Amino acid sequence: MEGLTIGDGLKAMAAALSIGIGAAGPGIGIGLLAGRAMEALGRNPEARGPIQQNMILALAFAEAIAIYALVVAVIIVFVA
Amino acid sequence: MGGLISNPKILAVAIIGLAALLISLAGGALGSAFGGGFLGGPIPLIQLPAEKVVALGPYDLMNTTVMFWAAGLVLLLIAWRATRRMKEVPSGLQNLVEVIVEFFDTTADNVAGGAKHAGRRFLPLVLIIFLIVLLSNWLGILPGVGTVGRIETVGEWVEHHSHAYEEEIHEQYPDLTDAEVKKKAVKKTVEKYAAQQFVVFTGDRALGIIPLGRGEDAKVQLQDVVDIGAGDEHIKKDLEHSAVKRAPANADDPGKHSGLVGKRAGLLVPFFRGASTDLNTTLAIAIVAMVTVQIWGISALGLGHYSGKFIILNKGPINAFVGFLEAFGEIARTISFTFRLFGNMFAGEILLIVMAFLLPLIGIIPFMGLELFVGLIQAFIFAMLTLVFGVMASVSHGGDEEHAGAH
Repeated sequence: MEGLTIGDGLKAMAAALSIGIGAAGPGIGIGLLAGRAMEALGRNPEARGPIQQNMILALAFAEAIAIYALVVAVIIVFVA
Repeated sequence: MGGLISNPKILAVAIIGLAALLISLAGGALGSAFGGGFLGGPIPLIQLPAEKVVALGPYDLMNTTVMFWAAGLVLLLIAWRATRRMKEVPSGLQNLVEVIVEFFDTTADNVAGGAKHAGRRFLPLVLIIFLIVLLSNWLGILPGVGTVGRIETVGEWVEHHSHAYEEEIHEQYPDLTDAEVKKKAVKKTVEKYAAQQFVVFTGDRALGIIPLGRGEDAKVQLQDVVDIGAGDEHIKKDLEHSAVKRAPANADDPGKHSGLVGKRAGLLVPFFRGASTDLNTTLAIAIVAMVTVQIWGISALGLGHYSGKFIILNKGPINAFVGFLEAFGEIARTISFTFRLFGNMFAGEILLIVMAFLLPLIGIIPFMGLELFVGLIQAFIFAMLTLVFGVMASVSHGGDEEHAGAH
């Protein structure tokens, strides 16, 4: 691994931090979302279809934020 | 549990599966630390932009474009096969397509307010987005996609990258001829990228094969192929040859890499690559979706009423700002669409590459299943969000709170 500079190390750190911190929030959000969906399912098992569909849609919104962090990390590693 | 183990068929399958997993574990990059690694190849170069397959005149045909066209062709083929002999009681492919269309028909009606055929106007675009995104996602994980391609030799790579310096050198030394500028650019590129890694291929010069079993050892640096400090003619000859000149230094075992000398070095440029792993594809679909959403809104509410959602001038500064936020939200949704699909699919591709490197042949099968699932979910989300945004755009201006959360 010779030939690596401090700049390369900082780049790796930046990428790791961006996805690491960026995934924490959506992780909490997805946990809350899925938990509430399970609660709703427990109260009203007949509404399984709509609950599932809306949960997946809402999960996509939460997940998109993690994906932004991932894209930033990918850009730091491969482009910048 | 005891019943499961005593069943000889299940036991045999379990043993074979476990053995295959152990072989792939020992053969991959993890096993190479313990003397195994007989299946592991060098980890491929991952790059963000799509690669050029062939130049069609002034137009560079990219490998993701090829895959998008392939997805379109497959879709045409499916549509033709499904509707060729239509039956009153559907079976086979016709049945499958009817299930998909019916599902989206009822979903569109439900989202658009519940009345029958209320969602009909949204259906064509929503359905085509779902189908084309799904097919291009799934075609991207077929075997051979991303792994079969042309070898870009070191010479071609340097030529390709030296164009970036030509202009700079031309400005610096304006009295040089084009040929001299080119030579200087090549020299500068070689010096700049001396540590750039290339894969050493096996097989004859026509058919390059990624070497299995040597793992990361099958990589050399540019300085092992070209004599950096030598004269221009010498560098040119080395680049034309694009073969490994000297084995990379290895302190532990000096003879370890001597087998690489004389082999061709370069990079693999795949012929095919999953269409959704290119930002241009996802941006194009997102723009089509969001522009159509605006058209739906205008056609449902009329131009004046619809633009009243964004330009609110007679209700004070706060409402004007809310209108501005609404307009900005439309742009943010386009970007969000783009990056959601691209990020998911590109991350999936990297996951598969890394897993193929860690657990070759067998160990990546579960991850392929995961990618099938992610591809389906992402296609569904893209289509559903288009539908939801379309419905939101075509209902009259009511409670702002209702459509504030969607980004």
